[in-house]
Amino acid sequence: MKISTETRELLLNLAESKKVYLEGNLIKVLEVDADDAEMQAYLEECKSRDSEARKKRLEVTRQVQEQNRELEASSKKMEVLNQDLQAALAESKVSEKMASEAKAEAERLRDEAVEDLDDMQKRTQFELMGYIVKVALGVILGVGLLTTMLYVYVLTVGMDAKIIESTWSNLFGILLTNSFSIIGTIMGVKYANEKN
Amino acid sequence: MIESILLVDDENLFHLVFEDACSLLDITLSLEAISSSDEADRLFKKWFHEGPEDEKPECVFVDLNIIGSSFDGIELIRKINSEYGNGVVIGIISSSSDNEEIEKAKAVGAQFWIIKSDDIEPRLQQFYDDYAGYRNGTGEFKIYR
Repeated sequence: MKISTETRELLLNLAESKKVYLEGNLIKVLEVDADDAEMQAYLEECKSRDSEARKKRLEVTRQVQEQNRELEASSKKMEVLNQDLQAALAESKVSEKMASEAKAEAERLRDEAVEDLDDMQKRTQFELMGYIVKVALGVILGVGLLTTMLYVYVLTVGMDAKIIESTWSNLFGILLTNSFSIIGTIMGVKYANEKN
Repeated sequence: MIESILLVDDENLFHLVFEDACSLLDITLSLEAISSSDEADRLFKKWFHEGPEDEKPECVFVDLNIIGSSFDGIELIRKINSEYGNGVVIGIISSSSDNEEIEKAKAVGAQFWIIKSDDIEPRLQQFYDDYAGYRNGTGEFKIYR
């Protein structure tokens, strides 16, 4: 593409006074006369400036591309970390729930064990009480039987029975009273055992 | 010098890189960059059915995965070669070097595969050195790594 003399002068003046040069692919299609050294120098300057500007822009664009790639990689990493974090959070919630359930189960077992221990202690106590009551009843019945036999023997052989008579009467009253007391105790013990 | 180039790539920053690299290497004076394979499809359809033929680019560089488009670069190459009269030098420019994709591109008529990187100029220069072969149909498929 050829330019007119007026345009040539304008371009050269602009370059000289304001350092404004043509740029872009336009400078590659401009044709200048072989003997026009000034315009050829001008075009060379234009090409050189354009090339430098493009190199700079290319460098900046590459840096931006690199930053974009790094940002994208960071974003992906963040996404993965976030997913891991959420998975860990979900896992911790599950673990927390399991721990809570395990704690509740342990507490339940502890309570059961305490109750069993209590029951066992009560049972042992009641068994002991029952044994004592049975022994006491046996002793009372034995004494009553022995006294009755002694009283019958005294009556049979015709010996003085006044002492044994009052003894047997008192003893019989005591036996009846204690028997009811013992029977009441036995019933109470039996009722408590059945309830537990 | 290549008469005109069309770049189809969803990455706008790469448009700038490609334009500057082409300018620095003096590969072409006319470069158009678009971001969608749908837009490229529409343009080729128009050139094929309505013309004018001289608006059609001489060489087309297509990205493999064009985000936001209805189809990828390989499908675009297939359409251009089989539906819109062929007649252009066309190939893939992508950061991928997947052999399966490369074979697919070859199968639909891609003439070259340029692997994108920060240092694109040497590959573009090699491509430009081989360009005459692609233009007259004697150049074989080549991967520029």
